[in-house]
Amino acid sequence: MLRIDDLSAWYGEARVLRGVSLDIAAGEVVTLCGRNGAGKTTLLRCVMGLHTGQQGLVELDGRPLTGQPAHRRARAGLGWVPDDRGCYATLTVTETLTLPPVVGPDPWPLERVYEAFPHLHARRNAPSTTLSGGEQQMLALARVLRMGARLLLCDEPTEGLSPLLVAQVGDILRQAKQHGVAVLLVEQNLHFATTVADRHHLLAEGRVVESLENSEVAAREQDLLAYLGI
Amino acid sequence: MVNFLQHTFNGLVGGAFLALLALGLAVIFGMLRVVNFAHGAIYMLGAFGAYVLLTEVGLDFWWALLLMPLLLALFGIAVERLLVARLARLDPLYNFLLTFGLTLILQDAVKSRYGVQSSPYDAPALLSGTVDLGAFDFPAYRVFVLVVALAVCGAVWWLLTRTRIGMVVRAATERPELSTALGIDVGRWVTPVFGFGIGLAGLAGVLAAPIRAVNPLMGADLIIVVFAVVVIGGLGSIFGSVAAGFAIGLVQAWVQALGEHWALLSQVLVFLVMAGVLLWRPAGLFGREEAPA
Amino acid sequence: MRTKALSAVLCSTALLASACGGGGPQGASGAGGLSDGKVVFGVLNDQSGAYSQLSGKNSVSAVELAIEDYKTKYGDKAVVKEFGVESVDHQNKPDVANAKAAELYDRKAVDVILDVPTSSAALKVADVAKEKKKLYFNISAATTDLTGKACNKYTFHYAYDTYMLANGTGRNTTEQGKKNWYIVYPDYAFGQDMEKSFSAAVTDAGGTIVSRDAAPFPNTSGDFSTYLLKAPTLTPKPDVLGTMQAGAELVALVKQYNEFKLRDKGVGLAVGLMFLTDIHSLTPAALAGTTYTDAWYWNYDLVNREFADRFKKVTGARPTFAHAANYSAALQYLEAVQSAGTDGSDAVVAQLEGKTVSDVFLRNGKIRAEDHRVVHDAYLAQVKQPSEVTEDWDYVKILLTIPAEKAFRAPSPDCKLS
Repeated sequence: MLRIDDLSAWYGEARVLRGVSLDIAAGEVVTLCGRNGAGKTTLLRCVMGLHTGQQGLVELDGRPLTGQPAHRRARAGLGWVPDDRGCYATLTVTETLTLPPVVGPDPWPLERVYEAFPHLHARRNAPSTTLSGGEQQMLALARVLRMGARLLLCDEPTEGLSPLLVAQVGDILRQAKQHGVAVLLVEQNLHFATTVADRHHLLAEGRVVESLENSEVAAREQDLLAYLGI
Repeated sequence: MVNFLQHTFNGLVGGAFLALLALGLAVIFGMLRVVNFAHGAIYMLGAFGAYVLLTEVGLDFWWALLLMPLLLALFGIAVERLLVARLARLDPLYNFLLTFGLTLILQDAVKSRYGVQSSPYDAPALLSGTVDLGAFDFPAYRVFVLVVALAVCGAVWWLLTRTRIGMVVRAATERPELSTALGIDVGRWVTPVFGFGIGLAGLAGVLAAPIRAVNPLMGADLIIVVFAVVVIGGLGSIFGSVAAGFAIGLVQAWVQALGEHWALLSQVLVFLVMAGVLLWRPAGLFGREEAPA
Repeated sequence: MRTKALSAVLCSTALLASACGGGGPQGASGAGGLSDGKVVFGVLNDQSGAYSQLSGKNSVSAVELAIEDYKTKYGDKAVVKEFGVESVDHQNKPDVANAKAAELYDRKAVDVILDVPTSSAALKVADVAKEKKKLYFNISAATTDLTGKACNKYTFHYAYDTYMLANGTGRNTTEQGKKNWYIVYPDYAFGQDMEKSFSAAVTDAGGTIVSRDAAPFPNTSGDFSTYLLKAPTLTPKPDVLGTMQAGAELVALVKQYNEFKLRDKGVGLAVGLMFLTDIHSLTPAALAGTTYTDAWYWNYDLVNREFADRFKKVTGARPTFAHAANYSAALQYLEAVQSAGTDGSDAVVAQLEGKTVSDVFLRNGKIRAEDHRVVHDAYLAQVKQPSEVTEDWDYVKILLTIPAEKAFRAPSPDCKLS
């Protein structure tokens, strides 16, 4: 579904991605692990089209996204779940949910979203920035589900969440996966990653240094934790 | 008491001009992050345009009220496409300088064609009388100005809070990059919003023509006050700019009515308020943190 | 400054005055002949701002007309054969006026500076004239300080001042029975000066100042409605609203005066300072019936009209009193040079002092030796009703002539010329 080939990116003179290649198929969850500054978020931003200094190929369903602005990429089926959860002070919860256009064949209607997330329903007329951190995270995920996005770009969705909420995020991602939604997941929490992902890529200094099937992780856990600096 | 009510009403009329101008500045700043220095010159063009329409085309005030905001909005759209958009990716200072230069060009262009002396322009016959407001009479035209300003501000509020267009504009204004990533073509809204803000300044200008001196410099001093109003209201806050515009108009009228030795204060008051607000709440009274709309 | 002083020293020690002519400072005294073979006028005024219509570039045209008339009159016998006119914009800023005046005298070999509206700028130029020992005829500024504490040997105040305006309008209006005044003035030097002069004139004529308000200056919103709302509510109700605003602010105030229908409410309007160009801006309809004091009016008699016709041919507009006064000042300067046979400043001043003169602008004119006030007849004018206006720019009728000796104040003890 998504193919990245020889992708490089720069911040001014500094090169932060050095020829990254990877593929994701429909219904597949792939994580990007690595230390801070390894280039994980930059890679997501490159795929979304938010990063200007990039070179290389990004393809969705065999069609190159190169040169397309972010809003076109969103309409092509990319769902953006940013690390700051992307809430608005000037939009209510309902407005935040219904702001993006419906872009996929299998969108969640608003009623279904509120059924699945009763907390959001209770706060539906509040500005979305007034939600708690966990609620904001649910909102960000619910929003891309309502869009019917086919590939979710999730930047550390479990960061700062309680174990209960982390488990809920896991449920949502697995549900989406069952419906054929692909996920590119930036994740520091290796344990959580193994509960949802099919494959893992380890990023260091802008390169993919290691790619593992989920089944391989258990055996290599100590190595990986060392890589992550934990 | 009656005097106080009169001055209060009159302050609202003065505030109406500030509110219309501040509203235009705020929507432009919110969407483009451009401080449009040319706003005062556009106000002047609105008033001058009304004069030119009357003397050279033969169209009266009502036509001017309809046409000038539209023509100036088109002018704004052209400016945005041809000039402002080219500098959008650079430091906002460049666009500030651009609009500052544009101000000088527009003022001098009008000056060289029509001179600096003020041009005559009268209120339409329909509104040249007075209206009985119960406690006192008031010039009908001023009542009209207040009604138009309130209607326009109300319509903008409705548009922004109750329609999908408004929701999209709010989202694009608050977090342009995030909104793009969510499938909103923010760029598509930049040009019309710029044109709309410019159109509002033009409307204020046409409204000012019958009661203020119509000359090339009429917006030059006013714009500085409007900047202060926008800062007080909270940069980019639509509601804040309108509320601050009316509030400053009221306070200025009250202070001026106090007597001979209050003239200086009424002049610097707006800047004192601005300094106070910035110390107390750096984001302005209705700044980003809790801006409802 | 150092190079200037140095070159002056070189000039005098080397006794090579002629060799120093090109751009160097000229000696102020002259034992005959012209300092540099010609007379150069410096017209220093507002050429882009609020006062650029009432004097501005058209003042240059007025000076050129004077040169033309001087040539015609004297022909071959003319002492001055070559002329120059330098025109500079002082933007109504005192510091700019100061620098430009020094530049005109020093670098442009200007013999006399003319015009200079805006009182604060006018006073700066008087200092420069005194320092450089060069002549200066102020036309368009109103402050009486030019013939008061700031007076000097080389400065002449030509057309009008705040006393003349207040005495004409304030006294006459009060004597006509409109005794209660409400004065609104702009809160800066000119306005404060005008307010004092008007209050004095009104009180002196038996009137009362019911209330006075200082309006912010510059008035950023161009709105005076607060004062207009206040006027009819004062006790006793004022008979006259006296406005000291000038230029665009006057235009705005008059518009709003009409809007608030104060005339119908029994509050008349008296204007402190008004130029023909202001009436043209507002249209006579907006000002109909308003009285003010004029220093000169183009359609007063055939002599004036003839000058106005010549002026219109060159500029396309009718002259304000400032234009006529610039013409007159340039002409009287040339006459004085003709009589003196030199353009040396002291010799020309000696010719001018105490002289009685009459020309297009000056009627019963006298250049007072005591304070260099040029006194002449002034006029109480009234803006015509629209129905009475039969010709473009012919907007006022002259109600009465205020004789020269009554139009201006007596020489001030503050003025010490030498």
